[in-house]
Amino acid sequence: MEFFIQQLINGITLGGVYALIALGYTMVYGIIQLINFAHGEFFAAGGYMGVILISYLAAQGLHPYACLGISLVLSMGYCALLAMAVERLAYKPLRHASRLAALLSALGMSIFLQNGLMLTQGVYDKPYPTEITSGGFEWGLVSVSYMQIFIVALTAFLLVGLNVLVFKTRIGRAMRATSQDKIMSALVGINSNRIIAITFAIGAGLAAAAGIMVGLYYGSVNYSMGFVPGIKAFAAAVLGGIGNITGALVGGLIIGMVEIFAAGYISGEYKDVFAFIILIGVLYFRPTGIMGENVDDTRV
Amino acid sequence: MKRVFMLVVALAAMGLMLAGCGGENEKAGQVLKIGTMSPLTGPYAADGNDIRQGTEIAVEVIMEQGGISGFTDIMIFPQDTACDPKQAVAAANKLINEEVTGVVGAYCSSSTIPASETLAEEDVIMITPGSTNPQVTERGLPYMFRTCGRDDHQAPAAVRFMKDVEKVQSVFIIDDKTTYSQGLAEGVALAAKAEGITVLDHDHVNQGDKDFSAVLTKVKAAKPDLLYISLQNSATGALMVIQAKRMGIDATLMGQDAVYHPKLIEIAKADSDGMYCTFGAIDKDAPKYKEFQTKYKEKTGNNPGAYSAYSFDSAMAYLLAVKAAGTTDPAKVRDAMLALDFTGASKQLKYAANGDSGSNYVVYKVVDGTFTPYWNSLTGEMY
Repeated sequence: MEFFIQQLINGITLGGVYALIALGYTMVYGIIQLINFAHGEFFAAGGYMGVILISYLAAQGLHPYACLGISLVLSMGYCALLAMAVERLAYKPLRHASRLAALLSALGMSIFLQNGLMLTQGVYDKPYPTEITSGGFEWGLVSVSYMQIFIVALTAFLLVGLNVLVFKTRIGRAMRATSQDKIMSALVGINSNRIIAITFAIGAGLAAAAGIMVGLYYGSVNYSMGFVPGIKAFAAAVLGGIGNITGALVGGLIIGMVEIFAAGYISGEYKDVFAFIILIGVLYFRPTGIMGENVDDTRV
Repeated sequence: MKRVFMLVVALAAMGLMLAGCGGENEKAGQVLKIGTMSPLTGPYAADGNDIRQGTEIAVEVIMEQGGISGFTDIMIFPQDTACDPKQAVAAANKLINEEVTGVVGAYCSSSTIPASETLAEEDVIMITPGSTNPQVTERGLPYMFRTCGRDDHQAPAAVRFMKDVEKVQSVFIIDDKTTYSQGLAEGVALAAKAEGITVLDHDHVNQGDKDFSAVLTKVKAAKPDLLYISLQNSATGALMVIQAKRMGIDATLMGQDAVYHPKLIEIAKADSDGMYCTFGAIDKDAPKYKEFQTKYKEKTGNNPGAYSAYSFDSAMAYLLAVKAAGTTDPAKVRDAMLALDFTGASKQLKYAANGDSGSNYVVYKVVDGTFTPYWNSLTGEMY
């Protein structure tokens, strides 16, 4: 039983990270039907920006939690700007081209950003300061670190914030309108290019937060760290019903759980297999994803 | 008009490239060309870059000593294998096209083995500084040499340490399914059973994983005396060490020669304290090593990595052999290689007829943020 509870906690933590990354995929897909393969790289860039800022601020003698808070906000801002630049350069010129062109552009951007990170930051892993993240509770076999609580809490906070933004604000209404019909929403005075840029920025900001949490949780960041979680988060977004915010959360948690339980009860080598078997199964029986039925109301 | 312009530019660019090649070929007669093959990108890039840099320093040292008579210059062609068998074979073909006569590399056994067969067809000498799988030298290739040790010596050495020094009763083994890491982990499992140590479980993770919480929860539940970590990459090893400590696993941690790297301690910091790793004995106080270390730091700004000294020695062995033979003719260089007996930065180097240079595995312990020699597997004594 303790074993099960511990694996459940592991699964929720991992799922939370996937969910945060998946939100970016889902939002961008919802608004321009583009699968942004460069999204995993925003996650990596956020992780790197986080470690650079935390190290710098810690050297200035700030309290570790203050360092973390400031770095989190600044990294999210940085990745938001980066995403807007990428959108302007690589996707906007192709807005009216075929979908394949935009998809290839996204793949190219992913490779470009990953190599950019490698060339500027080096090939070695960059260690995160571990002082902030140590400590936790322990009951017998079950242990919960403060970091796991922090990850789940921050994920929940960002999700609630995102929901408020999308459903309660003018920008959110404009985003939903644009996703339904770009031309009509433009006719009623919505600047759809601006809304698309904002969507990219929000998605990348969330990915940056995930990047920092992963860096803190696992202890280091690497230039190629965005690829695998990017694919998993994409799977999570599709699983939940791509274009659906709640779906991304559910999908992320499912992928995280399946992975952890497959590794815990079968063997570590099977975890990816099971995660993707679930994905294929859902797509086969429910092509729109788990939360796909109300896609028109809630997709951004 | 624009298209015509682009076409002209493209043709001009191609023309320049061809001209460049022609220029190189003209002086090929006096230039000694050697290649390196190692993962320069991807998760194993840390070790891969050490291999390239170690070779570069060997060339620098030889040039400072007056070079090799008959050759005006020594050129290095570094190739990226990404630890991928297909890319390694492509790299080998590329090096053959460049007409290199000796290759230092590759790193992963899974890419060294196929690449060596390609190089063997053209009689190119290959010296691996880091591939420890027994098969590398067991296939009877005449031009294959190995500067590091062998897994079938490493696994028993590790198990002897577990039994004689740590007195462990049970062990949990994790590997990441590469030719190297899995082969070694299986060797450890076999040797442990033979020595009467219980193997509680032998689990696998995937390459590139960052989250080990699931498998480590299993380790925690199994309560082994020792957790044996056989991963292809030190940064991944560091992640596993951090997560094991945070989860409260109190088993002794032990890794192998791919996990052994100063970067592991840099990332895992205090969490790596007290961890053991098997690696070839390198006497860091020996004058040869000191000399090499100074040069390495001057050039790269870093301390030598795990395989830097082995790469330096591999390249040195080849260059000294060419110097002794006075030619790049593979058969003559091979004879000269076998006749070598010199003190390298890593160890006393003498290649046996099958290309091996002997293993000298030592158990290192992380003490105060450095790998300190702890137990010698050859003599069975503590340092």
